[in-house]
Amino acid sequence: MEHVDHILIVDDDREIREMVGNYLKKNGLRTTVVADGRQMRSFLEATPVDLIVLDIMMPGDDGLVLCRDIRAGKHKATPVLMLTACNDETDRIIGLEMGADDYLVKPFAARELLARINAVLRRTRMLPPNLVVTETGRWLGFGRWRLDTSARHLLDEDGTMVALSGAEYRLLRVFLDHPQRVLNRDQLLNLTQGRDADLFDRSIDLLVSRLRQRLLDDAREPAYIKTVRSEGYVFSLPVQVLGAPA
Amino acid sequence: MKPSLHWPRTLISRLSLIFLVGLTLAQALSFGVQYYERYETAKNTMLGNLETDVSTSIAILDRLPAEERMSWLKQLDRRNYRYLLDEGSPGVALRDTPIAVTSIKEVIGKDYPMTVTDIPGPIKHFQVHLKLADGSPVTIDVRPSMVPLSPWLPVVLLGQLALMILCAWLAVRIAIRPLTRLAQAVENLDPNTHPVHLDEQGPTEVAHAAIAFNAMQARIAAYLKERMQLLAAISHDLQTPITRMKLRAELMDDCGDKDKLWNDLGEMEHLVREGVAYARSVHGATEESRRTDLDSFLDSLVFDYQDMGKDVQLSGKSNAVIHTRPHALRRVLVNLTDNALKFAGAAQLRVEPEEGDSLSVTVMDRGPGIAEEELARVIEPFYRVENSRNRSTGGTGLGLAIAQQLAQALGGTLTLRNREGGGLCAELRLPTRLS
Repeated sequence: MEHVDHILIVDDDREIREMVGNYLKKNGLRTTVVADGRQMRSFLEATPVDLIVLDIMMPGDDGLVLCRDIRAGKHKATPVLMLTACNDETDRIIGLEMGADDYLVKPFAARELLARINAVLRRTRMLPPNLVVTETGRWLGFGRWRLDTSARHLLDEDGTMVALSGAEYRLLRVFLDHPQRVLNRDQLLNLTQGRDADLFDRSIDLLVSRLRQRLLDDAREPAYIKTVRSEGYVFSLPVQVLGAPA
Repeated sequence: MKPSLHWPRTLISRLSLIFLVGLTLAQALSFGVQYYERYETAKNTMLGNLETDVSTSIAILDRLPAEERMSWLKQLDRRNYRYLLDEGSPGVALRDTPIAVTSIKEVIGKDYPMTVTDIPGPIKHFQVHLKLADGSPVTIDVRPSMVPLSPWLPVVLLGQLALMILCAWLAVRIAIRPLTRLAQAVENLDPNTHPVHLDEQGPTEVAHAAIAFNAMQARIAAYLKERMQLLAAISHDLQTPITRMKLRAELMDDCGDKDKLWNDLGEMEHLVREGVAYARSVHGATEESRRTDLDSFLDSLVFDYQDMGKDVQLSGKSNAVIHTRPHALRRVLVNLTDNALKFAGAAQLRVEPEEGDSLSVTVMDRGPGIAEEELARVIEPFYRVENSRNRSTGGTGLGLAIAQQLAQALGGTLTLRNREGGGLCAELRLPTRLS
C-alpha cells in the first residue's frame, strides 16, 4: 500500500482543528486532531507522525514550548508547521528559531495550509540529512558570509545585514543545500520554486547574476557561484552549519 | 522710520520694565524729597547766619574810624560774600530779588538805604550798595552758591541703580525660568517615546505646576496605551472567529455567495491585521537596530515586487550602511509602495543621500494624489480620503498611520506632498545612525 502522510493538528479551537482535519482528509492525508500539548504528547508516545501543525497561542504550554520539546525529544526529525495568530516578523523568527519548518498566519485558507504542508514534506525529504535545519542550524556559513535562515538575510564579517529578495534567498538556499554539485537550469528552477508558490518568471541566469552582485562576487571570475559551460552552475565553496554567531 | 514705543513682547522684558521703572521712580522720589528737605534746612540756617553776620559787619564798619576800616575787611570776608569800601562795579538792575537780598534788607534796610545791582556774567553775582553813617560807600559783593554736593553721591546713586537692575533681572529670571521649562516640556511631549519628567522641586507654585504636568503626561500615556491595547485586543480576538469563518466558507459548496463571503472575510482579515500592526507600531522601538546595507535592502524589496509582476522601479544609490530597524523600515516602505500601486498601478522608489547624517527614500506615483488640505490628515489612523477612487479600493485607513508611527520609531520623518505633474510623493528621511 502507498504511504499516506499522517498529519497531527494541535489547536485549542475545536471547530478550526476539525475543519482543517476534514479538509486535509478530503485531500488524501491522514489526520489526527488534538486540543493541547498534553494530548499531543500522549498521542506521539504511541504513534509517530509525518508532520505536526502547531498553533502558537494555546492555553497551557504554547506552541513555541511544544515545538522546542519536539526538537529535543525522539521526534526531533518531524517537521513542524506553526500557526501564528499575529502577523509579526518577530513571532515568525522565534517560531523558526524554536525549530519550526514553516509558519502560516491566521486567518489562513485551507488550501494554502495544504500547499505549505506538501512543500514542507517535499523539502524535508529532499534535504541531505546533514543539512536539515535544526535548532542549532539557523546559520549557514560560507566564504565571508553567513546566511540567517530564519530572518532570510546575509551577514558579512562585520555583521552588516545584506537583505535578499525572496527569489534570491530561495536560489541561494538551493545552492547551499547542494554545495559543490553542478546543478542545471531545470533543476535550479524546480528546486527554487519548491518552497513557496510565488509567481516566479525570472530566468535563472538573471537571478544568478543578481545573487552574485549580492555576494559581491565578480561575474568574470566568480568565487562563489561558478558557471559550468553548457551545463549550469555550481556553488564552489564548502558550507558549514554554524551555531549562533558570536 | 518713525520710532514708536511698543509694549515689549516677552514676559521677561515686560516684568523687567515694570520692576525697573517702578523702583527707579520710587528711588528718585525719595531722593528728591530728602534733597528738598535738606535744602530748606540749609537755607534757613544760612539766612539766619547771613542776617546776624551782615548786620554785625555793617555795624562794625560803621563804628570804626574811616582809616581803620580797610584793615578789618579781611576778617569780615566770608566764603560767599565780601565787603568793598567803594561804589562797586556798575551793573544792571536786578530782574528778581534773591532771598539773600530780602534778608539783608530786612535786617539793615531801615538804617541804611541800599540799591542792588546785578553783575552780568556766567556765574550769578550781585552787589548791594549802601552808605555808612559818615556817607562813605560800602558794597556787599555777593556770589551766591549752594553748598556743593559730595563727590561720592552720584557714585552711590549709580550703584543703587545697578543694584536695582540686577535684582529686577534676577527676580524676573527666577519667575520666568520654570515657565520656559514647562513650555519646552509641553512642546516635546510625546508620552510614548520620550517621557519628560519635570523636576518637582523648587517654589511651591513651580513644584505644583511640575507635578500637574507629570500627572497629565502619565494620564495621556495611559490613555494611549489603553487605546492601543483595546485595538490590539479586539483585532486579536477577531482572528479566531475569522479563521473559522474563512475555513467554513472555503468548505462550502460552490455558489454565488461563496465568493462574496470570501471577499468580505478577506477585507475583515486585512482590517484586523492592520489594526494589530498599528497597535504594535506605536511600540515600534522594540525591534533591535542593526547595521544594514541600504542598497541591497531596497533592491531586495523592489525585486520582490517585480517578481510578483508589479511595476516598481528603484533609482539612485546610497552606498550607505545604516543603523536601523529593518522590519520597521521594510514595513514603512511596503505600506507606501502598496499605496502607490493601489492608486497608480506603479511606484518609483528613489534613494538620495542628504546633508549631514541622514538620507531620504522617496516613494512616488503618478496617481490622483491627495487634495492639499487633506495631506496632513491622511496619516491619521482610520482617515480615508473622500474620493470615489479610494472607496472602491477599500483601504483600512491604517497603512499611512502605521508608516508614520514606524517612521518615528526609526528616528525619521515621513512627509507627503503632491508631485508636479500629478501624483503623490512620500518622502522618508532617515538618520544613518539610530540614537
